[in-house]
Amino acid sequence: MKKYDVIVIGAGNGGLAAAATCSKAGLSTLLLERHNIPGGSASSFVRGRFEFEPSLHELCGIGTPESPGPLDIQFGNMEAKVNWVKHNSTFRLVVPAKEGDKDSFINEDGVRVSVDARMPVGFEAFSRKLDEIVPGSYDSCMKAFELSEEMTKAFECMGEGDNMGGIFKALKYMPDFMRLTSHTIKEGLDTLGMPKKAQDIFNTYWCYMGSPASQFDFQYYLAVLNGYIKNGASMPRNRSHEMSLAIDKSIRDNGGDIWYNSEVTSVIMKDGRPAGVKVNGNKEVFADRFICNASPKFVLSDLFGKDDIPEKQIRMTNARKTAVSLTTVYLGMNKTKEELGIKDYSIFIAPDSDSDKQYEACGDFYSGFCIINCLNEVIPDCTPPGTSQLFLTTMTFGDPLKDVKPQDYKKLKTKVAGFLIDTCEKALNISIRPYIEEIEIALPPTFSRYLNTPMGTPYGYMLEKWDSLIPRTIQYMQDQPFDNFLFCGASQERGDGYGCAYYTGEKAAKLTIKAFREGK
Amino acid sequence: MASPIKSLSARKFLPMLGNRQSRFKSGSPEVPEGTDSARALAAALHPVRQYLKVAEIIERSADCKSFRLVPDTEKGTEKLAYFGAGKYLTVFENVGSIPLSRAYSISSSPKNSLEGFYELTVKRVDGGLMSNHILSNWAVGTCVEVSAPSGNFEYQPLRDAGTVICLAGGSGITPFVSMANAVCDGDEDFNLVLLYGSRDPANILFKDELEALEKKCGKIKVVHVLSDTAEEEMPAGAEKGFITADLIKKYAPDNGDYSVFICGPQQMYEFLEKETDKLGIERKFIRREMFGELHNPSSQADYPSDVPEEVKITVTIQDETRTVTGNSCDSVMQILEKNGIAVPSRCRSGECGFCHSHLISGEVYIPKQIDYRRLADKDFGCIHPCCSFPLTDLEINVPAVR
Repeated sequence: MKKYDVIVIGAGNGGLAAAATCSKAGLSTLLLERHNIPGGSASSFVRGRFEFEPSLHELCGIGTPESPGPLDIQFGNMEAKVNWVKHNSTFRLVVPAKEGDKDSFINEDGVRVSVDARMPVGFEAFSRKLDEIVPGSYDSCMKAFELSEEMTKAFECMGEGDNMGGIFKALKYMPDFMRLTSHTIKEGLDTLGMPKKAQDIFNTYWCYMGSPASQFDFQYYLAVLNGYIKNGASMPRNRSHEMSLAIDKSIRDNGGDIWYNSEVTSVIMKDGRPAGVKVNGNKEVFADRFICNASPKFVLSDLFGKDDIPEKQIRMTNARKTAVSLTTVYLGMNKTKEELGIKDYSIFIAPDSDSDKQYEACGDFYSGFCIINCLNEVIPDCTPPGTSQLFLTTMTFGDPLKDVKPQDYKKLKTKVAGFLIDTCEKALNISIRPYIEEIEIALPPTFSRYLNTPMGTPYGYMLEKWDSLIPRTIQYMQDQPFDNFLFCGASQERGDGYGCAYYTGEKAAKLTIKAFREGK
Repeated sequence: MASPIKSLSARKFLPMLGNRQSRFKSGSPEVPEGTDSARALAAALHPVRQYLKVAEIIERSADCKSFRLVPDTEKGTEKLAYFGAGKYLTVFENVGSIPLSRAYSISSSPKNSLEGFYELTVKRVDGGLMSNHILSNWAVGTCVEVSAPSGNFEYQPLRDAGTVICLAGGSGITPFVSMANAVCDGDEDFNLVLLYGSRDPANILFKDELEALEKKCGKIKVVHVLSDTAEEEMPAGAEKGFITADLIKKYAPDNGDYSVFICGPQQMYEFLEKETDKLGIERKFIRREMFGELHNPSSQADYPSDVPEEVKITVTIQDETRTVTGNSCDSVMQILEKNGIAVPSRCRSGECGFCHSHLISGEVYIPKQIDYRRLADKDFGCIHPCCSFPLTDLEINVPAVR
């Protein structure tokens, strides 16, 4: 049996980036994936004449051809060629009016709303628009964006070094870095004097990180926001399956091996360290080092013997909170977006404008929180002429499926999808139901099936106040179960998001390559 | 003026590192449970394999039998995966040295799966390797290996009309028997009008069962459409001839609010395509079960000329590479199977993507009407071997069979 330098477990975004980076550096690399295609969340599926994007809302970090962002650079480094399509809006936030809201008004769709904010790309344009909606918010918004530039640079510094080195570099150049890191979005925006109503609009993207304004650190949020607002986000031309196949190709071209339908069923230990893996219960493969994109919780329960893992690792896994789970309804529509009356790519419909109240509401499927995306707004011909595709997403924290039996599940899916469709129809005063040609409904078990994560979360652990980005980054090596077995993906320091997963995969690979070069 | 941000203390940062470690120390030392409600549901509904045993065989006609399959607990299947009416199971069988697989719609009801059995109904197909094998070899006690319930041929109330005109031909009746039972059991809620085409009364499958369902449940109507039966031998209420647009309209609601579901042999799909076009209903209301395996690619209008009869395929699965030869009129999947190589398969109709593979070199022919690949697959040379036919020697990379 051939022994590899590195075995990468799981071909999600993190695992793909790790395997591409290792194989390009000349390490003999084997990437193992239990599913039959790469990507995890980054994939696509076909129903009838529609090909659906399963998870990607928008990709920041691509930048522009003149000024490529970190993710575009990373794809360049991996020699993975993807056709990016830019889109030139950010989001629209619609909060249907609550009874008794004296500030509510009838919007352009004829709906009574508390908030209707359609926000443009660009710091100046965004701040002006925010000021138009909430007078007196311009200065604080511009100030926040200025800080976001600094925080983005700090992020780049962090990317250059290994854990502590990167942080020290960031500290050196950014005097405010530590201040923002140890404070929440809310504390930061209050300090800048941003009116509450403007904060609510400013915080719309909190759900992309799965942690509300009273929890999430200001510094990280600003860096994330910078990626979306400064230049606008992008999408891959042919769904995110294109991104995954582009990296798959890069791995093969650089001599790496990829085995699909090849699930790691146990880790083989030697002298107290991982030395190999068993694949599909029957085939053994060995390596010096391992990078693991699979969810730590199930890796501990499924792959290791009880006495093989350091107790610290078990306590750590048990102490952390599983992040948000998603529910998505994919709709192939037999009408165009114009005929349906949809004018925006990304509309966030929220039961309350406050992110913490949104978070609290998301204990079940019926919170009234729903993001509706229409990919045709970015890629007009992503469906055949005369049609369009919609993508409705809501989120849940905890376990809304406790008492659901397999025989009740199909009806539950239909009920949840119907509720989300109703939510969108009402909030936007449009008609969706009669025009559904294809429908697919994904609840947490669907994501669990494809991602194999706790409650199907694509987000890893919740980025709570005590378990936030910078402490995670500093303590990354401490967090790993063995020095030759490094985790990557959403469970690691940056949390969820395509860019974050690619980043952690590349970082784990760089640490692995360094260890090889140093002969460890 | 100093930035207001300076008023935020930077000193708050340092304790964060220690705090995080203390929080970790407070976690339980027990290995986390390898399950939760989402994982349990996913595992219950989508097992990788189900190991079953034949418990009972029912003769449906001279060349058709139903097999009741129950869990083979000795092999580790405790419970059957629940399913939505209309789904199929892929049966895996070794016939001689050939690892075969075929998709069969489940003819029993979802409720039956909770009671502990699935029923598959198999009709003999001329030259059909699997149907002949099953009908000749399966006996009570035979061990059977099947997939999880799969496919998308199901009723969906958010998409489909309240009345479904189900067009069945031959053994294409099976998913509709399951649906009719589900309607009767209250697991589905729609009006089911079944137009069932057969040659003559002797060829009608599930005749008594359908009659009983129609009697028992007001939402079900069954109409037999007989092509080769003399006028005087026509049973009461049956229609003579074939299923046509006019016949569909005759039994459809007057307001035109109905869906059409079709399941039958390939010739029936081709014939009905022209008929359903005449109905004047929107495309979304016409749904067809999978096409089935396509044979004789050279009969397709756009099939290229000068294709060599014999081709070589070099196939890599995990760390094993083999070169085999085959006939270019067979799909890549069939060539591999005939050489004793098992490949992942489910629908064998191009649709499900379960056999998704990488074409490293060489050219294949993929009939347009069954090319359900993703857009990026086309750019990156990925194929579905079940509906790809070699035009040259090939080098391919295929996932393992799990």
